[in-house]
Amino acid sequence: MRNIKARDIIFIVLIILAVVVLALPTLLGSLGPLPPTNIRSIAINYLNATYNQLNPGLWTSSPEAVAAIVWDYRGLDTLFETAVFYSAIIAALVLYRDILGEKDVLKGRGLSIVVQRATAISMVGILVVGAATILHGQLTPGGGFQGGAIAAVAPVIAIVVFSRFLIDRSRLSYKHLLLVRNIALACIALIPLVPIISLAIGYSQVFIFQNQVKAVSNFTFPQIIIDVPMGGTIWFFNLFEGLAVVSAFSLAVIVIFYSEDMSRKAIEGEDIGF
Amino acid sequence: MLTLADLVFIMLGISALVTIPATILAIISRDLIKAVIFSALQSTFYALMFYLLMAPDIVLVYIAVSIGFMSMILILLIKKVGRYEKY
Amino acid sequence: MGSELHIAMYITVIISLYINIAVCIYGIISKPNLVKKLISLTILQDSINVFLILIGYRLWRPGIILQPPILLDWSPTSEALKQFLERAVDPLPQALVLTAIVIGLAVNIFLATTILHVYRHFKTVDMDEIGMLKRVVIVEETA
Repeated sequence: MRNIKARDIIFIVLIILAVVVLALPTLLGSLGPLPPTNIRSIAINYLNATYNQLNPGLWTSSPEAVAAIVWDYRGLDTLFETAVFYSAIIAALVLYRDILGEKDVLKGRGLSIVVQRATAISMVGILVVGAATILHGQLTPGGGFQGGAIAAVAPVIAIVVFSRFLIDRSRLSYKHLLLVRNIALACIALIPLVPIISLAIGYSQVFIFQNQVKAVSNFTFPQIIIDVPMGGTIWFFNLFEGLAVVSAFSLAVIVIFYSEDMSRKAIEGEDIGF
Repeated sequence: MLTLADLVFIMLGISALVTIPATILAIISRDLIKAVIFSALQSTFYALMFYLLMAPDIVLVYIAVSIGFMSMILILLIKKVGRYEKY
Repeated sequence: MGSELHIAMYITVIISLYINIAVCIYGIISKPNLVKKLISLTILQDSINVFLILIGYRLWRPGIILQPPILLDWSPTSEALKQFLERAVDPLPQALVLTAIVIGLAVNIFLATTILHVYRHFKTVDMDEIGMLKRVVIVEETA
């Protein structure tokens, strides 16, 4: 074991001091009684109003409270969070602007044939589970991000098992994924503007981002699909957000997987200007 | 005897106590692959804690993102930049 | 008694999260390797998310079983809604943590790509050596 220097002892004392400074007010009651005896009043209001037909001015027609809060009661937070995710993927792609979309020079073969056939069968299962989680987001735990993260495992495994050489020549290329992502993000931006189109039909007053009937305006998205609660805008938001998340993850992984020869082309000329 | 509430809280306490050695080993070890594996082990116990705290939406996102995606991107990064940490 | 066990276990979970947070801050400040800093940052973000959901839990009263905030009855009466309000866990921290996890993931992906770019430029990921190389270049340029 290497000899313990003085700065290691100072760090250990500082860590213990930090934990004591945080723990002492908690034990004396600064967070309230632990565990909390009752939930907050705003949570009681949200849980009461989300599927209550006696109060149609506030209901969202989705029996799941978390999806209703994320996409309806606090929908503007989610809009800006989607913008942050979108900007981070753009920033990661911009660093490789010279070589995006080009085919790789390294010719790989992928893994053995047993692994390739087993992966080809299980990829279908992964995509189906992801799609089921996306489309049932207003009834059971699930939704856009969750289903998109589950379904994004399939293209990533495909790049590792079949080599990148094969994937570049298939339909999973860079241009197709970018097209899917742009269409999904444009549709997410257009759904809050659909009520404005109904002004031409005859409704007198509508709101942007409106989901169901409010006290001063009569416009509503459909409430029930066959016999199951639909959630109005929540179902559409989940579908397009799931598509956007799948294509964004696949793009980020494709860019990181370039071979070293191609990636060095992206930094040529940097030693001249620093 | 032990009721259901007692079992839930005891499992919460044990899962939280097991994550402390996993975190300390992840930060101290000099082989970066071992650090990634300890981080994934600690994420598994956090996923168990999310389930016991009645948050099923978070469990779905957390397992796919933190045990799957982040471990894969970190292992790819380590392959390209070097495995051992100079001290 | 049952209730004291509950309170003791809850406080144990909170204190172990504080220890994780303090050790991760030490890891970010004191280790010179960039990949080790990224690993510590991801563990720090996850610990804070668990802390937020822990605050949204509630006390188990005898005879009531808690449930996640999802209504299972598609045409509830007023009685069923009152039962739901007595049993459900707080849904608001779960919605905020969902946003926080997605934003943390986006930042981590961008940081991983930046670390690759820094490695290709400087041929090392050790912050001490990068500082020394930058000092040499700046001294050369201003000479």
